[in-house]
Amino acid sequence: MRQMFREFRRAPARIITSVLALALALGAMGVFAIPAVASSSLRDSAGADRMANIVFDTTDSGAIDMASVVESVPGVDDALAEAMVGVGTGSPDATLLPLVGRDLADTRVDVISATSGRLPISDGEVLVTDGVADVGDVIIATAPDGHQTNLIVVGIGGTTFWAGESVAFSTLRTATDIAGIDGANHVVVRATDTSGDSLRTTADAVRERLAADGVTLTDLPITVPDGTHPIESEITQVSTLIGFLGIVAGLVALVLLGSTTNTLISERTREAAVMRALGARNRPLRRRLRRLAVTIAAVAVVIGLPLGVLISNVIARMVMQEFLDITPGIAVSVPVLVVSAVFAIAGAALVASGAARRVTKIPLATALRDRDGSPFGRRRAERFVAGTRLGGLLDRAALRNAVHRRSRSVAIVAQVTAAVAALLIIASLATTVNAFNASEFEPWSWNSRTTASGNGLDIGGDTIAPVVTADPTAEPAIETIGEFDSWEIDLVGLKPDTAMIDRRVDSGAWLTDGRNVVVSTGFAEHVGIAVGDDIDVRIATGTVTYHVVGFHRLQGRTLFLDIDTLATDLGRPGAANVVYSAADRTPTGLHGLTTTTYLDDFSSDDSGRAAILLIFGVIGLVVVTVAGLAVASGLAVNVYERRHEFAAIRAIGGRSRQVMHVVSAELLPLAAIGVLAGVAAGYFGGLAIMQSFERADAVDIGFVFAGRAIPAVTATVVLGCLLIGGLTVRRMSRQSVATTLRSAS
Amino acid sequence: MLHDPPEMRLERTTPPLVVATDLTRRWGKGPTAQLGVDRVDLEIGRGELIAVVGPSGSGKSTLGALLAGIDRPTAGSLVVDGVRIDRLSDDRLARWRGGNVGIVFQNFHLLPTLDARENVELAVKLADGSASRRDRRARSLDALRTVGLDAKAKRLPTQLSGGEQQRVAVARALVTRPRLIVADEPTGSLDQESGSAVFELLIGLVATGTTVMVITHDEHLARRAGRVVSMLDGRIVSSGAQ
Repeated sequence: MRQMFREFRRAPARIITSVLALALALGAMGVFAIPAVASSSLRDSAGADRMANIVFDTTDSGAIDMASVVESVPGVDDALAEAMVGVGTGSPDATLLPLVGRDLADTRVDVISATSGRLPISDGEVLVTDGVADVGDVIIATAPDGHQTNLIVVGIGGTTFWAGESVAFSTLRTATDIAGIDGANHVVVRATDTSGDSLRTTADAVRERLAADGVTLTDLPITVPDGTHPIESEITQVSTLIGFLGIVAGLVALVLLGSTTNTLISERTREAAVMRALGARNRPLRRRLRRLAVTIAAVAVVIGLPLGVLISNVIARMVMQEFLDITPGIAVSVPVLVVSAVFAIAGAALVASGAARRVTKIPLATALRDRDGSPFGRRRAERFVAGTRLGGLLDRAALRNAVHRRSRSVAIVAQVTAAVAALLIIASLATTVNAFNASEFEPWSWNSRTTASGNGLDIGGDTIAPVVTADPTAEPAIETIGEFDSWEIDLVGLKPDTAMIDRRVDSGAWLTDGRNVVVSTGFAEHVGIAVGDDIDVRIATGTVTYHVVGFHRLQGRTLFLDIDTLATDLGRPGAANVVYSAADRTPTGLHGLTTTTYLDDFSSDDSGRAAILLIFGVIGLVVVTVAGLAVASGLAVNVYERRHEFAAIRAIGGRSRQVMHVVSAELLPLAAIGVLAGVAAGYFGGLAIMQSFERADAVDIGFVFAGRAIPAVTATVVLGCLLIGGLTVRRMSRQSVATTLRSAS
Repeated sequence: MLHDPPEMRLERTTPPLVVATDLTRRWGKGPTAQLGVDRVDLEIGRGELIAVVGPSGSGKSTLGALLAGIDRPTAGSLVVDGVRIDRLSDDRLARWRGGNVGIVFQNFHLLPTLDARENVELAVKLADGSASRRDRRARSLDALRTVGLDAKAKRLPTQLSGGEQQRVAVARALVTRPRLIVADEPTGSLDQESGSAVFELLIGLVATGTTVMVITHDEHLARRAGRVVSMLDGRIVSSGAQ
């Protein structure tokens, strides 16, 4: 420690920069902890709320006691029947507010708790999730039949399953009255065996058992295996992306650790030589040098680990609040902390060992004579550049120095590369998400999309006819969820001659009636579906088989088929659950439903995208700051090491700008190489991230590289380097030439 | 052996090249302040060879640094060839150094990445930005020839002996034809033979009208200067012609 203090007194700014940069790099590695932090927070809440493992949407259970029926199925531990209905809340364009009616005091499944106010105890009272309304407010709920009911908000709260959603909870009777049903239409289940396969088996058994009583499922059951959260897979995807940026931060940390440690040891070449000359043996000398590097790494660890915990928790909190409205407590990923600490200390020891060995292997006479222990001209590459006569004298000196101090040069290139790559990956994410969103909407022609409020196909054939008469551009459709080959897919039932989507196909033909389907091209390619294949798709009512006739360019995992076929397969021929229209308003005759326009959907995606980009922007900023600090630190050390050389230039008449010329002539080519490498790394890194998402999601996202950001990134790097160089030279110039030169003697 | 060319005596009658008045250099403030040069008054004539001697820490190197314009006095005035150099800005002082002063250091301070000729040429480039590359090269080769190193012009500093490196440093100092050369312990790192050769070079420069100030511990060499200035504790304790 004493050695560390001596070192600190010798060059405080340099040590502080190195320690801070290393600490920040270690802190940035904390982003690796985000998946663990987010998952553990979600799972803690899921456990505390006894979150359901299987959730069923059903038709009206009527007089039967659905909870008891479901509980009689093997594998079901507890079941709770609920009534669920989407209600309008006054604003014509507002999304429907799901109203969940249940026994609120029942704590066996999905415990409902109030964070403020209280749970509803009387009919007409509701508890709402945060942001929906305040305690004491009155919500005018419009039922699917247009009937309006006043609901008094008595509390704010909810349960983990609905985290991040706008939902209202009421007594069972309040919801059944509004939904116009006699029994329940939603059942939440906790299973005895929560593995994925077992939950699926149990779900099938429940479907069959309910069908025996005349109750059919209206949606694919949601299964939540092993205490996970339904949204966890999405969080994991975001976390994967964060992890990629964490890798960049880790690489920067690695380069920084290597260059800082190497510098610390190398500049002690002469000191070590003096000690060797006085009789010190190599082994204790190496140990001493190693200890110095390890001490600095340890100090960085002490600062960096809490910083890492802070960074990971702040970002995890941003992610959780944005996607789930959950404010998690502080969580710590011990493995990430341990790995980061071991990485820093073992890495420093390893690099220091190599550097110390090099330093103690230099012939004593050479080490005593030469300040840096490695005079220019010994290596072949140095002799080669010494023979070149390109550029002016100052440019030559700069080039030769870059070759001479190659590890420093490589470190600067690597750090600029990391910063540029991080910036371009972030920018490319933005352009890709933009392009994806645009292409997601591009084939569609509707201007409004009006959805049904209840479970299943709530828009009956008798409702559809007058709607279409009033608005000839209106078209009924079905949007539902299915499953193919373990992938959740969107099934869209359309009239075969629909005008709501561009029917041109990438291959094969557009659908006709019957069991023909068209599959989105990207998904088909990822899962190996060919035109002409028959595919088995799991839907709410069971497994059905369709014949693939074509591929469509729509991105995502989508399957288009004839609306009549799908309605029949879902057990309600002639019905629909969505009405598309070329008009941007709610079609007449559809009471209590919610219309979203193209612009609504687009801006909703836009705000989500902005939130995601904000999160990545923060991480990118951390990485860029680390890289910037690392470049500053490397450059400061570079100028510091060469202060005598620069002082000699000043002594023979060189002005500040000429010294700056040498610094920039050395730095800018390195920065240029870093920018080029960073552009390549940014391109391939972004591509790899998107391809990993495409593989993980079996969709065709398409990668749009943010090439337009290159000039701005290049300008930032160049200006940043010049600024850092200028500040360093200016700082060095404050000392008189004589004083600097004297210190070399 | 006393070497005192006749032209040196003639120069003493002309206005002095260097006029230092009450020149002071200290570091820090208060009781812990270190005094390098303490109220020194000194005049050095044109074409004069002056040796500054004194024990370590007597302030002779500090005085040399002040006269060479690589350090600034904290008090007093310093006029070199009619220019009040203590009042020049950093960049103007640098420009002035390039055109008016040649400096030879004990540790040579050659740029390690430039070869001998390039090191000398750099001084020309910094002093005279308008000189063509061909002119710069010719002048630097001439200077190297003067010190007998034209055959080793393409050698890097590490490929030269200490004496040769110091001769390159002398070539670098003289290539701009400065009015004043300040040599701080120019022979301190050299063996006797190499040291003598370097000193002979400096004496030769005096013959061309250049003023040379040599800071040395070597009494034998000092005796060859036209005037010897002795320093102790930052002050001049004696100054006399040989």
